[in-house]
Amino acid sequence: MPGERKPMRYGHSEGHTDVCFDDAGKYIVTCGSDGDVRIWESLDDDDPKSINVGEKVYSLALKNGKLVTAASNNTVQIHTFPEGDPDGILTRFTTNATHITYNRSGSRVAAGSSDFMVKVVEMYDSSQQKTLRGHTAPILSVTFDPKDEFLASASCDGSVAVWKIEEQTQVTSWPLLQKSNDVINAKSLCRLAWQPKAAKLLAIPVETTVQLYQRDSWAQVGTLSDDLGTQAINVVAWSPCGKFLAAGSIGGLLTVWDVESKLCVERQTHEKGYTVCGLAWHPLGGQIAYTDTEGCLGVLDGLSSSSSSSSTTASSTTTKQAPASYNDLFDDDDDRPMDEGISEGTCSPAKNPGDEDDDDDLIPATGRARNRSAFLDDENSLDTGSLKQGLDKFVDDDDSAIVPPAAAAAPLWPVYDGPMPTPPQKAFQPGSTPAHLMHRFMMWNSVGIVRGYNDDQDNAIDVEFHDTAVHHAMHLTNSLGHTVADLSQEAVLLACPGTDELASKLQCLHFSSWDTNKEWMVDLPKGEDVQALCLGQGWAAAATSALILRLFSIGGVQRELFSLPGPVVCIAGHGEQLLVVYHRGTGFDGEQALGVQLLQFGQKRRQVIHGEPLPLSRKSHLSWLGFTAEGTPCFIDSEGVVRLLNRSLGNMWTPVCNTRDNCKGKSDHYWMVGVHENPQQLRCIPCKGSRYPPTLPRPAVAVLPFKLPLCQTTTEKGQMEEQYWRSVLLHNHYGFLSSSGYEIDEEGQSQAQKEQQELLMKMFALSCKLEREFRSVELAELMTQNVVTLAIRYASRSRRMALAQRLSDLALEKANQLQGEEPQEEEEEEPLQYTRRNTGYSQSSSEMGADRQHSSHRQAQEEVVDEEQGQEEHMDEGDVAESKRQGLNPFAKGTAASPEKPSPKPVSKEGRVNPFKVSSGLGRSGSAGGQNRVTNVLDSMMLSSKKPTALLSSSGSTGKLNKTPFLKPLAPRPKTKTQSTLLHMNTPKAANKKAVEEPAVCRLKQTEAPPPASPAENVENKKHKSGFQLWLEDNRRIILADNPDLEETDVIKEAIGRFRTLSADDRLTWTERAKGQSGDVADMKKRKRGEEENRGDKNGQSEADETRQSEADETSAKKKKPFDTSAKLSAFAFNKN
Amino acid sequence: MDPSEVEFLAEKELVKIIPNFSLDKIYLIGGDLGPFNPGLPVDVPVWLALNLKQRQKCRIVPPEWMDVEKLEEIRELERKEDTFTPVPSPYYMELTKLLLNHASDNIPKADEIRTLVKDIWDTRIAKLRLSADSFISQQEAHAKLDNLTLMEINTTRSFLLDTLNCMYKLRSNLQPGSSGGKAQDHQ
Repeated sequence: MPGERKPMRYGHSEGHTDVCFDDAGKYIVTCGSDGDVRIWESLDDDDPKSINVGEKVYSLALKNGKLVTAASNNTVQIHTFPEGDPDGILTRFTTNATHITYNRSGSRVAAGSSDFMVKVVEMYDSSQQKTLRGHTAPILSVTFDPKDEFLASASCDGSVAVWKIEEQTQVTSWPLLQKSNDVINAKSLCRLAWQPKAAKLLAIPVETTVQLYQRDSWAQVGTLSDDLGTQAINVVAWSPCGKFLAAGSIGGLLTVWDVESKLCVERQTHEKGYTVCGLAWHPLGGQIAYTDTEGCLGVLDGLSSSSSSSSTTASSTTTKQAPASYNDLFDDDDDRPMDEGISEGTCSPAKNPGDEDDDDDLIPATGRARNRSAFLDDENSLDTGSLKQGLDKFVDDDDSAIVPPAAAAAPLWPVYDGPMPTPPQKAFQPGSTPAHLMHRFMMWNSVGIVRGYNDDQDNAIDVEFHDTAVHHAMHLTNSLGHTVADLSQEAVLLACPGTDELASKLQCLHFSSWDTNKEWMVDLPKGEDVQALCLGQGWAAAATSALILRLFSIGGVQRELFSLPGPVVCIAGHGEQLLVVYHRGTGFDGEQALGVQLLQFGQKRRQVIHGEPLPLSRKSHLSWLGFTAEGTPCFIDSEGVVRLLNRSLGNMWTPVCNTRDNCKGKSDHYWMVGVHENPQQLRCIPCKGSRYPPTLPRPAVAVLPFKLPLCQTTTEKGQMEEQYWRSVLLHNHYGFLSSSGYEIDEEGQSQAQKEQQELLMKMFALSCKLEREFRSVELAELMTQNVVTLAIRYASRSRRMALAQRLSDLALEKANQLQGEEPQEEEEEEPLQYTRRNTGYSQSSSEMGADRQHSSHRQAQEEVVDEEQGQEEHMDEGDVAESKRQGLNPFAKGTAASPEKPSPKPVSKEGRVNPFKVSSGLGRSGSAGGQNRVTNVLDSMMLSSKKPTALLSSSGSTGKLNKTPFLKPLAPRPKTKTQSTLLHMNTPKAANKKAVEEPAVCRLKQTEAPPPASPAENVENKKHKSGFQLWLEDNRRIILADNPDLEETDVIKEAIGRFRTLSADDRLTWTERAKGQSGDVADMKKRKRGEEENRGDKNGQSEADETRQSEADETSAKKKKPFDTSAKLSAFAFNKN
Repeated sequence: MDPSEVEFLAEKELVKIIPNFSLDKIYLIGGDLGPFNPGLPVDVPVWLALNLKQRQKCRIVPPEWMDVEKLEEIRELERKEDTFTPVPSPYYMELTKLLLNHASDNIPKADEIRTLVKDIWDTRIAKLRLSADSFISQQEAHAKLDNLTLMEINTTRSFLLDTLNCMYKLRSNLQPGSSGGKAQDHQ
């Protein structure tokens, strides 16, 4: 059977407990010996509402919003539900009541007491009491006849009696139980239960069985037993439909019988074998809640009788409902003989009518024949009438046993049983505890703590800083009722929801302000509430219920605002980055559908992540969102999985830790307060048995390590792989930081690089030891050139000549690349650069533009040289420049060519052709001619370049030089624009083409012999340049920093070595980026060119317009082209080779 | 040995603090401390913790055993057993004194803890006196006591040794000639 036992959870302190559901089945209500009544929204409810009703609670009953409890002060009290306000005392006994119960309508309450009496009290007039006297020992339990005529009670005197309520007389009595002198000593609680609806049967737990007595005749008509039940049954409960009976025993065994067939349909054992002392059936069936004497609450879900209570139930019922599996089910069903179906066929038609209308004719003696239909009926009886119709059919079908399952299915199940939509998670502040708490953390982040108090005496907010150097602690009265807060080094941001009279307010305490006004406040438009807010560096953001995200400067100036694609979940800020998570749509079956946007402000404003889905664990929700201290976006879901944005992998999210792995208990969690990449730390607060910490005692922060979920991390290999990739991932931020113009810890960076190389070397040695030479080479490909030489040495020493040979080939290839392609210098730090591009995309593109311009100038000068020298090879830049120049000239001049289609063609041709030509030339990169040219170029360039010495070394170096000046100032250069206008247009195209070509080229290069390879390399260089030029700026600086003494060529070699270590994937992504960038650049350049033309063109405005148009055409053509051109190019390359 | 010297030794024990300032690692003869990150727990010797606490530069996280429930357990055990039970820390008394005197605001239920530790201390000292008494009265030559802390030994040392010396002198003076001294001593 498909019942699913959910893990128990702590509910009350040790001792007797009781449980029931509210009328709608929405809440589970428990009571315990700690005197509390707890109202649980579900088993997973971490914060159940507690009502204290006395020192101890012995029993409770709930109906019509009135909660009746039997407390240790000898009274039976009423509380309202769910508010929990006391609503008077219903009755009193001379000692405590032991069991209370409602009648079916909720108009009366029966209470049994230790003073041997049973009282029946009218709910609405507690003076109208009926007292049933006759038991000679404390009452164990009472139960109403659903028809309100009788009442049954069990007592410690060993008898079970039935009373006529009106006459207050005993109708009958059976001596069924063992005698005892008190409830505590009774062997069983003997909770009686009267069958609902039909009211035909009274179930009495007797020892290990349940005896069924028939109404009116008061004769025993059946016994339910279970072979496995060896211990006395404590409680019994009927399913709401009256067809099933659940029982909980002393030994923790939960059994569900089908009463007609007397078959056990469900059997579960308590996970710890504690005594079950409370048992309640969900009003819609399908779920049983139970409690034990240790105060734990458990739920048995997915019982056969419901189809609506929860998604799991739904799914389990679906399987059952599917006619195909239906029969199987019954075959499986315990000891049911196979021939049963036949007898059923004969029996059930007769019974059907009654069955559907009512359960009147339901008699246990009917036995198995009716089992199936009854079962079925039960499944649906909870649902609507429409279901019942379907049910009829099904029963018929079933009886005839001929109808194909598929046909039966369609009419049968009109109710939607597909995936159920998940309620969307509410907006929250990462690092805050739930708003309904009286004492809560409104924010706990790496700067400090904001605590909110909202109790009788005080409504206040405390702000405290981890580092008292930032600011002293603050205490604010919270007269506005702020509910959300954020805290940064500069300010405290608070917001409150609007009320009928007052608009939602945003309040900022800008404590770092240098003037005397440290505070500002903004009212939001009527009807718009702040739902989430965050602080960045110099700005604040608030997401509102109107799906608008509003930006403010930290001083209170309103800035941009924009619409969000969906209701906000939370937002986080860091530096100039803003991370927004919102609902993309409706999730199903427990999943949330969240989208994420990452925006970058500052000089280059752009969107880095464009609303992609946020990858959460299954059936989890977002529980924390933020940035690492280094500025990498990061989030944690409710399953405890920490994911970090991997900027070097196309902005994908990489799981870096599962905090739940570190938890000791099942209900323990870690509550995140901060993430640091260097040192690698997850700072969180361990919470025992909850998801978030209390404010007192003050929780202590713990530090968790990162751990990538790689395979086989128990093995040495797995460990090293994990370390390597963790190191790579967690040092991505260097690239990002440097690209966004922050100072980076060069030492740390080089240390990280060293560590990575060491790990590679270790892995290399390990795979050598394991005779995995292929793998060794793969690892060697990740290494820098220096380390490869080490690897060669290692291989040759360990007498693996084949391996050493391959490695030396590899080293050679790398060296070749170095010499051939100076641009590779830039690739030295490829991963970093990638990240830079991603993050600092717009910036770099602008820089690139600037570079291009310079290079174009150079090229223009060089052109002459080129023409003279023919195909002499330039450095990448040279090539690019040439191509650009050629392409540019037509456009720049605004000649006839530009407006027409042909013009793009020539350009493209040039772009394509040039690379190759150049490449052929490039093969001889060292040639004097090239250098001459370079120097020429350089002469022109010198002014801009910072290092004159570098000029001499090589064209590549010149490229670098050009770039270097641009690198440092992150902002694009206005100067270059005018000059570069001519060149701009072409460069982007060339870049595009190159980028497209690159993959093909790379392949060629690798496969081919050196001479052909060199052209390919050249091409690649060009590509690199296109991508590179942006990149070079950064590279150059780094290289110089690392090797201040190196000459340019050496630097380049070094760079090549490093570049080699990059994986093919990395290179690919690199080229792709280059493409994208170049596209952007192209657009920019076009515009510029247009301007220039306007100014300079002799032909006048009209022509300029034309040219612009042509440019536009061109750009569009380009945009379309990439694929075509790339295909052509690659084809061309192949042909050539 | 002076009690203050014992306390001095106890100050070498490590305790967790949560600093509210940021400082790089500091390198001392006794070892490196830090780095100190605001809000992040770090282990430092008690002397430094107290110093920082006095300057309001940190919050002290009480040691794990400094908890009412755990101490109650220890107290019960100590009362039940005739011998000395192991204590949570070899410097439990000193640490309790130091921390409660200087950082009681960081320790929940400080008063209860103080009482509990005092109870434990009293119980143990009583046992110590008792055993010293039986040691002397039975005229044993040697005895072994496990799980005593330095401070406890220190409280009884000077007095016990002096007493023993004194008794020795008295006894040897009492019967300069007789040889079966001990048996008679007893009477």
